[in-house]
Amino acid sequence: MSSESNKHEFILSGTPGSPGIVIGKTSLYRRNRPIVSNVRIDEEGIRKQIADFHEARTRAEKELKQMLDAQSDGSAEELIQTQIEMINDPDLCNRVEEEISEHNQHADSAIQKVFEQYLDMIKQNHEEMFHERSVDIADTRDRLIQILHNHEADEVKQGTILVARELSPREVIEFSDRNIKGIIVDRGGTTSHAAIIARAMNIPMIVGLKNVTKILAADKQVILDGQTGKVIINPGESTLEQYKDLIAQQVQAETNFQAICEQPNTTLDGKSFILRANIEFAEELSMVQKYRAEGIGLLRTESVYLRQEHFGGQKKQQSLYRSVAEVINPQPVIIRLFDAGGDKFFSGSKKEQNPFLGWRGIRMLLDNEGLLKDQLRAILKTAAHIQGCIRILVPMISTIDQLLRVKELMNLVQQELTDSGLEVDDHVQLGIMIEVPNVALQADFFAQHADFLSIGTNDLTQYVLAVDRGNERISTLYDQRHPAIWQLINQVAEAGRGNNIPVSVCGELAADPISACCLMGMGIDELSMSPTVLPTVKQQLRSNTLSDMKELSNKVLASNTVEEINQLFMNWNTTETKTKN
Amino acid sequence: MIKKKVTIKNDAGLHARPASALVKLASKFESDFYIHMYGYKVNGKSILGVMTLAAEKGAELELELDGPDEQEAVESIVELIDSGFGEVYKNENE
Repeated sequence: MSSESNKHEFILSGTPGSPGIVIGKTSLYRRNRPIVSNVRIDEEGIRKQIADFHEARTRAEKELKQMLDAQSDGSAEELIQTQIEMINDPDLCNRVEEEISEHNQHADSAIQKVFEQYLDMIKQNHEEMFHERSVDIADTRDRLIQILHNHEADEVKQGTILVARELSPREVIEFSDRNIKGIIVDRGGTTSHAAIIARAMNIPMIVGLKNVTKILAADKQVILDGQTGKVIINPGESTLEQYKDLIAQQVQAETNFQAICEQPNTTLDGKSFILRANIEFAEELSMVQKYRAEGIGLLRTESVYLRQEHFGGQKKQQSLYRSVAEVINPQPVIIRLFDAGGDKFFSGSKKEQNPFLGWRGIRMLLDNEGLLKDQLRAILKTAAHIQGCIRILVPMISTIDQLLRVKELMNLVQQELTDSGLEVDDHVQLGIMIEVPNVALQADFFAQHADFLSIGTNDLTQYVLAVDRGNERISTLYDQRHPAIWQLINQVAEAGRGNNIPVSVCGELAADPISACCLMGMGIDELSMSPTVLPTVKQQLRSNTLSDMKELSNKVLASNTVEEINQLFMNWNTTETKTKN
Repeated sequence: MIKKKVTIKNDAGLHARPASALVKLASKFESDFYIHMYGYKVNGKSILGVMTLAAEKGAELELELDGPDEQEAVESIVELIDSGFGEVYKNENE
């Protein structure tokens, strides 16, 4: 009986990272955590640990050599080469062996300790540049320890639900090869790269469970509900039955999604619309194709730069742009310039009190023209190779001069490429993100100088409502359906029409099916969203008429509060379903 | 045993690429090779050791060589460092 009480059903709540419901057994995954064991290892143990260490080195070297073979970029080659040299460093080998045999330590903690000595020395000599100087060394350490752990006990079994503190995108991809059913992590948010990859690979995921790794043991049966963000541990029979039904429905819905995606993009009364995808990684392209997005409405470029900082940025960037454009061409690929704060790029730069109101996006880029020109060069080279599909989107514009300067630099780079003998694409469009309120208010003015406008409702909302969208205490104040946002969107839509340029919405608002209808009603027929929500939005748009959507948008524009709008949306949905039935 | 003082001349300092070149060269010789800097002493045949020194341009190092081919070794190593590692450094972003 007592063992039964340990097995009672309980629920943990996190944030949905990737949709889908799965039932399965857990596997625990720990990264870079040396097993600090106080148990002294005996002579036999010492020999085994030393052998394990060398085996890990051999494996790491093999992996690096494979990476090297697949690498054409010169500086990346050199970096990998340096890592190979580190792994074969005689001093490292001696020190680790010594640590194992003289202090009776496990190989992983010995590695940890020896690298700590190296890193400490850098820290003492070069505190200000510590991160930059140490990143490759720390990476080598992590790789060795990781290999040892996988080697020691491969805790992640095929077909299980993975429980971890956090995962890198690379790890998600790696584990997807083991057919893991789902992922549960302590840290991370919906927009973490791991979650984006999990969505792209169709692996249900829950993020932000805080200390789930401390609560959940391996081999526990759990239900992972990626829709609601719930993890149900030790589910009882009735709960299991209920979720099995939900899974069946989910499978049915997936089949329906496929059918919906094959239908044309038109409203019930025949007005056509365009649905595009927001992506960040080439791995997401399969989803984009599966759900038949008509191009990429937002290609985020921060991660490619941030992750590849030491890999000779421009070529890596180009390879991302190219791999996306090759698949998506002739449909458009809208590439957004780096949209990050300065602290992400320059390790020495000061922490800001209000980073969202600070040195980010185009503000930071224009202060670093070398960086900006590199990105423009990478984009425009891609455009020269795959003509007609590339467009450039400038984030965080708040003055017209910023846009004009980007235009100048773009022309400069085009000229440079032409001079080098490249046949450039002369029709690369340059558009702006509308996310700073003054630009939305002056949309007509800005529209005169831009080729297209893209409304980023996520940031626009936080700026208009003065609500930090990351601050949980005031999260109820953050609502993209706020009447003020709708009024601004309407104003921008009118500015686009007046200047004969396209207006699209690429924020979360577009992914909300009824809001999407309302946007259509305002005349915005280009929407871009995470690829996973495309079928749901499309279904809603297809099952309503444009005239109904117009009527809805008029009512929304006459509303004063979010509550009124929510009410309108709720009723609109039900009446529609009723008329359909 | 030979000791010899040198100054780092290349802009990038003893970072990854030059460090690697130095270690590769030193490893060709039989003699033991140590580098003294800031009161630290690292094995000059260890890439990790050299990288942790992270000597900047202008840094003064003392090379210590001990072994049958120490003379030849010290000459080659000094030549490499004095040549600024024979590298023309491009813009970091390129």
